[in-house]
Amino acid sequence: MNPILTVEGITAGYGRVTVLHDISLEAGRFGNVGLFGPNGHGKTTLLRAISGLLQAKSGRIQFDGQDISGLSARAIVGTGLIHVPQGNRLFPDLSIADCMALGAYSPRARPHEAENREKVVKLFPKLAERWRQRVRTLSGGERQMVSIGTALMSHPRLLILDEPTLGLAPKIKDELCASVMDISRGGVPLIVVEQDIEFLLELTQQLYLVNHGAVATEIKPGESLDHGEIMSMYFGH
Amino acid sequence: MSALAEILFGGLFQGSLYAMMAVGLALVWTTIGVFNFSHGVFMMLGAYIAWQLVELGLPAAVAFPIAVVVMAGVGWILQASVVRPLIGRPNIVLVVVITTLAAGSLIENGALTIWGPRSKQIPALIDGNTTIGGVGVSLHQIAIIVITPLILAALWMFLNRTRLGLALRAVAQNEDASHLVGLNVTALYGLAFAIAASLAGLAGIFMGGYRFMSPVMGSDPLLKALIVVVFGGISSISGPIFAAYLIGFFEAACSYYFGLYWTPALLFGVLILTLMVRPEGIFASRSRGLA
Repeated sequence: MNPILTVEGITAGYGRVTVLHDISLEAGRFGNVGLFGPNGHGKTTLLRAISGLLQAKSGRIQFDGQDISGLSARAIVGTGLIHVPQGNRLFPDLSIADCMALGAYSPRARPHEAENREKVVKLFPKLAERWRQRVRTLSGGERQMVSIGTALMSHPRLLILDEPTLGLAPKIKDELCASVMDISRGGVPLIVVEQDIEFLLELTQQLYLVNHGAVATEIKPGESLDHGEIMSMYFGH
Repeated sequence: MSALAEILFGGLFQGSLYAMMAVGLALVWTTIGVFNFSHGVFMMLGAYIAWQLVELGLPAAVAFPIAVVVMAGVGWILQASVVRPLIGRPNIVLVVVITTLAAGSLIENGALTIWGPRSKQIPALIDGNTTIGGVGVSLHQIAIIVITPLILAALWMFLNRTRLGLALRAVAQNEDASHLVGLNVTALYGLAFAIAASLAGLAGIFMGGYRFMSPVMGSDPLLKALIVVVFGGISSISGPIFAAYLIGFFEAACSYYFGLYWTPALLFGVLILTLMVRPEGIFASRSRGLA
């Protein structure tokens, strides 16, 4: 299978600070991709560069054969590459219904609005109960569901999740992990940044360890490592 | 009886004008997070464009809508020229205060050069006078009192019942997330300015129909609109609307009981008190957002 996303030699940062140093990776050749590594080493920055929130200084990003480097975030949403940012800040004073309508804002997603809404409600029945409630009044887990639901409304061809389980209670986290697995089984390829390695090992087929703004190690299928080895990579001993 | 009628009528009338102005300021603040100090100039320019069109022989019913549409364009251009290039810079609030103040000053002096200092007046919406509750009022003022809530209600419907309005409210709350659902954030910023400028222009047309116009006619209403948004809280558009009418009534009552001379001082007293007691404004929740 050809990779759906290729990142070639991306260098990016904020102002004079360079966060990503010539980073390259590909996704979709073996299934879902997981990114892990210590905080502050460029995982989120990489995702921001991919989705067009941040313009890379150099390098090339290809999505499904199309060069998307330099495109605006809106144009990239239009290609079906959807990014769920970290921290479920979202739109605090909008209702769940409003968020779902916004998710279907792009012309590409609009024709599928009703069908995708059904999918979201089926995946997250809890949201249906609070459909008219403001996002700020929801729990952390519910807000994460709204984030992911909004992304599903955008009719993704590739879904990028940035630490979907960050800060969630264990029980809610398990529920959310199960939902993410469901999305993957539904045929949407995923790129997931996550600190929970167990979850990543279960969900993804290919892993990248991102360290100091570059790929330190790539783990392909068949090279699966045990927990201890990953932990030692993580902490560098 | 006539005292009450006078205060009520004056409050409704002034409140309408303040509401039209304040809503535009609030719209720009909530979506872009900047304060537009050329807002008063929008008001003046709307009135002068309407005057010019009427002077060219167009009937008021045609000239006024054209002037309002032209003002939308002016708002858009001003946003694109002195606000958009600065977005993302540090201290944007302060920088935009300066750039919009400068642009406003240029436009104001441009108007002075083009149209001259002589006072002008544009036709009233409706000619004639009537008496209500023992108070003589012009039909023009009554028209403003009736039309303003309709326009504000239409704006509210637009923001709350259409997908484009939803997009504007979303941009107000989270810019990154707006990008990530595919909103054209730049265009929405332009739209916010365009709507604000149109409303200000319309307020100018309203004012030019009962008071003499001059190139500086927008500065006092801008000041009042500032008081309104500080008093009502700028984080929503309903807050400033209620606050505009409250301030209108307060002003009408003050000028009735204490005279015009004391009214500005009392207004600023209210402003200072609000800033001391509830700096986010009396109707504000503590977050930014349109509703």
